[in-house]
Amino acid sequence: MSFVIDRIFGTISAVGAYAIGGVRAALELWMVFVGTIAGIWRMYGRRGARRPAGALVEQMHIIGNRSLLFIVVTIGFIGMVMIYQACLQFSRAVGDLSQVGVQFLRLIVSDLGPTLTAMMLSTRVGAGIAAEIGSMKVTEQVDALRMSGVLPVDYLLVPRFLASIVMTLGLSILGCAIMYGAGGLTAWLSFEVNPRVFFDVSMVRPRHLILGLMKALAYGAAIPIVSGFCGLRARGSSEGVGWATTAAVVGSSFAVISIDFLLSVGALWLLGGDL
Amino acid sequence: MTAPASLIEFRDVHKAFDGKPVLRGMTLSVGKGEILFIIGTSGVGKSVTIKHLVGFLRIDQGEIWFDGKRVDQLDEKGFYAVRRRIGMVFQNATLFDSMTLAENVALPLRKHKKLRQATALAEAMGRLEQVYLTGFADRFPAELSDGMRKRAAIARTLTMDPEVVLFDEPTTGLDPVNARRIDRLILELSRNLGVTAVVVSHDLASIFSIADRVAFLYQGRVHAVGTPAEMRDSPDPIVQQFIQGQSSGPMETPGF
Repeated sequence: MSFVIDRIFGTISAVGAYAIGGVRAALELWMVFVGTIAGIWRMYGRRGARRPAGALVEQMHIIGNRSLLFIVVTIGFIGMVMIYQACLQFSRAVGDLSQVGVQFLRLIVSDLGPTLTAMMLSTRVGAGIAAEIGSMKVTEQVDALRMSGVLPVDYLLVPRFLASIVMTLGLSILGCAIMYGAGGLTAWLSFEVNPRVFFDVSMVRPRHLILGLMKALAYGAAIPIVSGFCGLRARGSSEGVGWATTAAVVGSSFAVISIDFLLSVGALWLLGGDL
Repeated sequence: MTAPASLIEFRDVHKAFDGKPVLRGMTLSVGKGEILFIIGTSGVGKSVTIKHLVGFLRIDQGEIWFDGKRVDQLDEKGFYAVRRRIGMVFQNATLFDSMTLAENVALPLRKHKKLRQATALAEAMGRLEQVYLTGFADRFPAELSDGMRKRAAIARTLTMDPEVVLFDEPTTGLDPVNARRIDRLILELSRNLGVTAVVVSHDLASIFSIADRVAFLYQGRVHAVGTPAEMRDSPDPIVQQFIQGQSSGPMETPGF
């Protein structure tokens, strides 16, 4: 009997320990976010603040320019596959393909364009940020920064945070355009949908654009925060860096999907059937 | 809770990681201007001890005093004032890869002393001269040898004119010539500038050439403390096993 009770209490305490660990991690993540926002003020907001020369531009290059080819190629293929499948299903079900382009544009502007771009950035940029900060953490460079009077969040996260927001916005817009163009080309070549019919933007409302841009903004903020947080939690040696990198990719992908869900639900709730 | 007479004092310090105790009631005091070596086997808590002093780790129980003030309860901001007075040279040299040697050394000057970049770089050159690295100011850390990186890290620490410098295994991984150069630097700092040095080390050659006092950490406590000569002549079999580097003896080491 006591064996059973021990097992039950053991399970409860294990679950409780996980829950406490989860809550603590969530609080720490929140503190990293608040610290980064405060860091922006410390580094860029105050009069006479000394901005690190070139750090922002360098991060924009790493996050944006170096992801360009990966995003363009991948998202182009996704657009082609999606439109091919959509046209196939539409032609079987209703036989009319005139609405495919119009509906596809609404879908990519308000959702798929920014979300798929951000999912790809989560893997490439998230892993990069976590690996870099994680290896600095395990080789005590982060502690050395603290000894030098530098807040690690200011030096490591603020430039990445700002660069990621700008570049995720830019790449999301580009991703939408590539997806739409690749989709239109596929529809024209495979199903003979007239490009003038496909590229019809009349159904896209400002609210779709605003929702899409809001999502891109939130994704751009979430990816470096989650990845930087994972990097700063790295412990031990190379194994810890590996853990941080994996956690960053999983965590930032999950953050992107969660934000997508929350913002979509919020928009639906606000606008009802008008979305 | 009375303030101690010595510059640094650890009182009954306890620290555990994931439930595993590392420090179990460690008490140690460091006098002004002395070179104190903390020795002991790997994982005994030597680096952990010094990291508490600058706020990288928080103790579970006990007290830490620095210059008549308790520091273990300070927050991160409070530790900034402590870190201006206590410098630390890390085990891995920890230079920032994206900066040249001069920029690395100039960083604390810009942040702690709020100097402009040009002024900070000029002062950094002077510090590099102190560690015989003037010719390498424009090089990046990856282009240099371990010994040079270590010396540059020492120069970076010295920029703040610290009263205390904590060295975490300064000679580990260096060839004997570079290791003795580091020893000489530590000795010069102490004798010429009156800097207090707390050195975590396994290096017996360093211990017996430059230490004023040695504290031997064992099972989470200071097992023995004394001058190098006293340690050498100690009748304690555990101390003797460590100093003579014998693989078998009374010392209990986890994993063996």
